[in-house]
Parts: sequence; C-alpha cells; structure tokens
Amino acid sequence: MSAVEKAVRREPVIELIGLNKWFGAFHVLKDVNLRVYEGERIVVCGPSGSGKSTMIRCINQLEVNQEGTVIVGGRSFSKDEKANTEIRRDIGMVFQSFNLFPHLTILENCTFALTWVKQMPKDEAEALAMEFLTRVRIPEQARKYPMQLSGGQQQRVAIARALCMRPKIMLFDEPTASLDPEMINEVLATMIELAESGMTMVVVTHEMGFARKVADRVIFMDQGEIVEEAPPELFFARPQYDRTQLFLSQIL
Amino acid sequence: MNTLSPPQAAHLTDTPDTVKVFVPAAARAAPSSTLGAAAWIRKNMFSSVPSAFLTILGIWVVYTVLNGFIGWAWTNAVWEASSRRDCLDKVGNAGACWPGVVVWIPNLIYGLYPKDEVWRINLAFALLIVWLVPLWLPRVHSKVAIGLSMVLLFPLFASYMFMGGEKGAIWTALIAVGLTGFLWTVLTAVTETLWGVPVLRMVARKFGATTAEAESRIGQVVLLALFGVALFIVFELDFVEVRTRVWGGLFLTMVISGFGIAFSLPAGIVLALGRRSKMPVISLLCTTFIELFRSVPLITILFMFNTMLPLFLPAGVEVNQLLRAIVAVCLFASAYMAEIVRGGLQAIPRGQYEAASAMGLGFWQSTALIIMPQALKIMIPNIVGNFIGLFKDTTLVSIIGLLDLLSMARAVGQDTLWIGLFIEPFFFITVIYFVFCFAMSQYSMNLEKRLNTGHKR
Repeated sequence: MSAVEKAVRREPVIELIGLNKWFGAFHVLKDVNLRVYEGERIVVCGPSGSGKSTMIRCINQLEVNQEGTVIVGGRSFSKDEKANTEIRRDIGMVFQSFNLFPHLTILENCTFALTWVKQMPKDEAEALAMEFLTRVRIPEQARKYPMQLSGGQQQRVAIARALCMRPKIMLFDEPTASLDPEMINEVLATMIELAESGMTMVVVTHEMGFARKVADRVIFMDQGEIVEEAPPELFFARPQYDRTQLFLSQIL
Repeated sequence: MNTLSPPQAAHLTDTPDTVKVFVPAAARAAPSSTLGAAAWIRKNMFSSVPSAFLTILGIWVVYTVLNGFIGWAWTNAVWEASSRRDCLDKVGNAGACWPGVVVWIPNLIYGLYPKDEVWRINLAFALLIVWLVPLWLPRVHSKVAIGLSMVLLFPLFASYMFMGGEKGAIWTALIAVGLTGFLWTVLTAVTETLWGVPVLRMVARKFGATTAEAESRIGQVVLLALFGVALFIVFELDFVEVRTRVWGGLFLTMVISGFGIAFSLPAGIVLALGRRSKMPVISLLCTTFIELFRSVPLITILFMFNTMLPLFLPAGVEVNQLLRAIVAVCLFASAYMAEIVRGGLQAIPRGQYEAASAMGLGFWQSTALIIMPQALKIMIPNIVGNFIGLFKDTTLVSIIGLLDLLSMARAVGQDTLWIGLFIEPFFFITVIYFVFCFAMSQYSMNLEKRLNTGHKR
C-alpha cells in the first residue's frame, strides 16, 4: 500500500495546521502544515536553523506554538497542562543528547514512567522493560548506569525507554547527530527494525541512507517552511526546488 | 553521507591483494624507579633544591608548633587545682590550667539547666539517636518516611522534654503525635529487619487483610491505636517547667542549629522553586525574601527579631526570646539555602526536563523524582558547607543574651575562682566545634561517594 492510499483511507494521527512560532522576534516556523497517517515514516531534513527540530518538538509541545493547532490522535493540545500531559503519553521521543536519567540504572530509566505514570507493579514493569531492552539488544546492561555505556548504547536505551510507554507515535530529533560514526549504524539498525514493525515515526535526521530505505515521505525544510515533500525515490532523483537540489548536492 | 553501506568500501578496492593484520603491542610494566615509597618521596619532596628546602622548612615549622603546643597542653599543664591562683602558683603561664574547664564541663554542655533535670536532655538526644539508627540499617526500606518523621515529629516531643510545665489539650495531642512517630519508627525498624515488612502492613495482614485498600485501612486503625498508647504515656508524664532563659551551652547551640538545619533545606527548596516559577507574583515574592535576608548580616536580623519584633506585636503578646532567635536563624539560613538549591537546579540540563515531560510526567513529578535528586546530589558539598556555617553562626545569639556554647566558655573566666581563665575553655569548645563540623564534613564526603553513579567519568 503506498503512502497515498494510506492517506485516502485513514485519519491522520498527527496534524499540524497553520503552525507559526517565534523565538522572541525571530519567526522560526511559518505556516507549517503537515499530516502524518498511521504507520507512516516521515524523514525531515534541512539545513541547521531551518526549524525542523522546532517543528518536531511542537508535535509533543516541548515547544509551544503561538499560532496554529497541533492535533495528535484526534486530540488537540490546549492551555490545559493536565490534558496535554495525557496526550504526550501517546508520543515517544528520542533526543539528540539521549537525555537518560543519570541517577537511575538502565532498567530504572525504562521502568520509571511505567511505575510513576502508569502505576504498573514493579515486577510487571521490569519484565516489560527487559523485553524492550532485549529488542534493542542490550539486556545485559540493565543494572548499569547510563554513563557507563557508549553513546550508541545510550541512544538504544533511550529508544527502549520511549517504547516502554507503548506510544502510538515515535519522534526522533537527530538521534545519531552526536554519535561516533561506528555507533551510528547500530542505532539506525534499531530504528529500521522499529519502522518495519509498523510504528508511526517522524525522524529529523541527515542520514539520507536511512531516508531512502525507510521513509514513506521525505520533507525538506528551509527558513521555517516546508519547501518540498515527496516519496524518497522522487525526492532524491528529481527534487523540484533549487534550494533542495543545493542542499542535496552539499550533503550527498 | 550514506552510513548504511560502509563508505570505506570504496577505498578498500584500491588496496593490494594481501591485507596486513594489525596486532597491538603488549603492555610493559612501569620502570621500578617510579614505584614505591622512596620514589614517591624523591619525586614529591626532594626533586630539586628549592623543593628540598621547603620540605625541611615545613617539617621544622610543624615540629616547633606541635612541640610548643604539647608542652602547654600536656607536659606543663596542671590537672589538679582548686582555683586559677593555684595553677598560676604552680606553673605560671607555661602550662594550661585544665581543672577550671573540668569543673565547668556540665555548664558548657547544658548551660544553667537545673542539674536534677539534665537527664531529660540526655534522654531526648538518646531517643533522637534511636530514631536515627534505622537510617543506617540495610534491611530497613522506609528510610524516607523515617527520616521525614524524625525531622517533623521529633521537635514536637523534644520541646516538651526540654521545656516541661503545663500542657494544654492541644499541646498534649501534639506531643503524643511526636511520640507516635517514635513508636512507629522503632516498630517498623524491628519488623522490617526481622520479616522485611513494615509494621502497619504486618499487623494488617495478621488481621486478614488481602487487598492494598484493606491493608491501608487497618494500618490507619493501628496507627490510631499507637496514638492512643502515646497519648496515655504523655498524659502520665509530668515534667517541671524549665524556662528557656536557663537553656545554654552545647545543648542550646544544638537546639538552634538543629532547627535551622531541619528547616532551611525544605524551605530553601520551596523558595528556589518559587524564584524560578513562571508566575510573576510568586517569583517576585521569593526573590524579594531571598535578596532581603541575604543582604543583611545575621546579627542585624537577630537584633531586629529580638528588639523590634515586640514593638510590632500587639501589647500583651509575648514571644519567647529563644523562639525569636530560632525564627531569625531559620529565615536567614533558608535564604542562603535557596540560592544553593537554585544553583544546583541550574546545573541540570534542560534535556532532563524535556525527557521527563515527553514521557508524560507532570511538573511536580519530574521536579521531585528527576530533577531534585540529581540537583541535591550535586549540591551536597554546598549544603553541608552551609550547615557547618550555620552551626558556627549560632554563636552570634550570644549577642542577644542567649547562653550558647561560646557565652558559657566566656563565663568560665568570669567565675571568681577561675577569673581570667579564657584560653583553656576556648580551646575546649574549639575541639567541640571541630568534632561536630568535621563529622558533618566527613558525612557529606561519604554521602557523595555513596550516591555517585558516574556523573563524572
């Protein structure tokens, strides 16, 4: 089933409508509109400062947009922080700097939200966490602390931690940007597996190999706008805009 | 860059047919001349002529000071005398006159507290130690609850033990609450050590509770029964009133600094969070409080509370002088603590808040469970440093006429028998201050080591 067919059949799980955001006087996002359907994999790329990270952070409202609406799973974010927290529980996020909790072990990092947010009993939470740690292939590190792991391992823990909450959507904000080249592949491999399992994913990354292999759509952003949006075959072979061509010529 | 197909592949095609195998060299032992005590001494103490000179000079200085000190404090010291005149006749100023200090030790520790009632202080501190012990027992799990109960409930009970006198209905109940906390702590420590279950849950299970709800309901009844027992005990207690005016010495120092320490940390956390709040009114209030109390010397605040507060209060309302001093110290200490906590909070990267928030934790959950534990851990040296400073700063209450340890030491030299005896009592209280402060400092180092989970690589 192509992305277009999916679009026709299903309701979007993420919908950004007329998103505008300013940092002080600086206009970071200009009228951004985006629909993501269930099971879709979106790769967002663009030069630094193009607003791609800000956009993905608006999806779970780590950044609050001044204008426009963000709807996730049919519920739109509002001023009601309690309701927003509820919506966030369906969205997993993986950060560039991992953001594991350094004072907790790997296992505790994964069970933390399960016990405190979902009130799951401890043994049940640990079993679930071990299941996901096995899936990202580091169950043997469960008792260690984050600082004892390599960057690639930490990022895989971060993925497992997000998955433990059984999110409907996973957001990746430059997950491999602060990793050594040798560790990038192990993280990408985990992400590809996740994509193959049918997870809805929005990934900000410069890994064009990943985009080619996994993405249903590639989105190119510049100056706070979505410039180009196309399936990877088209995006890489025949970019429509000169700006996209310039960008691709610089990074490929 | 396409990292999925190895980029090195292109280069490998240019290499010759035979590929060289990389074998790392074996590690060798370090040269023997750089190991051992002799090598260490040579390297660190006698590496050059100036270094050797400084080493010898240092040894000479230490020897001279120690030699003089031991001569005064031990070799030439007088151990038996009935007055300072006696001492001076025996050795003059060459040796210390310890009998004056020995005679005054009870006063240095308890101030002018009646001798027959001193056991109340001892008993209260013994209870405090018993309350503290479970915190070190490895099998006890309810450490947070025990610690909190100690900080919050011990003062209720201790204040009656120290003060005594008439107790109205409300105060009786409060004292009983304090005692209930103590009984609960002891029982919990015992049951958790022996059977691994807190006392309330154990009793509830004995009564056949199976669900968590039933357990907590029966637990509450048990707690109430415990309160009843405590109430009965408190009802039977009848202590003579000892006015706070006669409290003094180390005891008073510990009461004031104990309140300051116990109050300043939670108050500091609240103030620091308030100052960082996005709500302008709260932020402004907290900032004003912190800056006001931080920019005024403690002596000034003590004077303010001591002499000016009564002017603002309605006629007839009198607040105990000790209480005024304690409130002043508490407010001053919490303003300082607030800035320490804020510093710690600022050291936590934004990503930690974001990760917690992305996982669906609310503000209070992420602050209490993610941010504070990390921030407090970073702040341990500063917090304990502040506690140590506070402990020593309480000497300032002597200025408003409270008889703390320092005032009592000064009183020795004003005793007609021991007139002019100042150095020895001051030396004695120096040792006391050192023991307390050094213990706190060591405890903080120990705590840091135990909590270190590799923030620093």
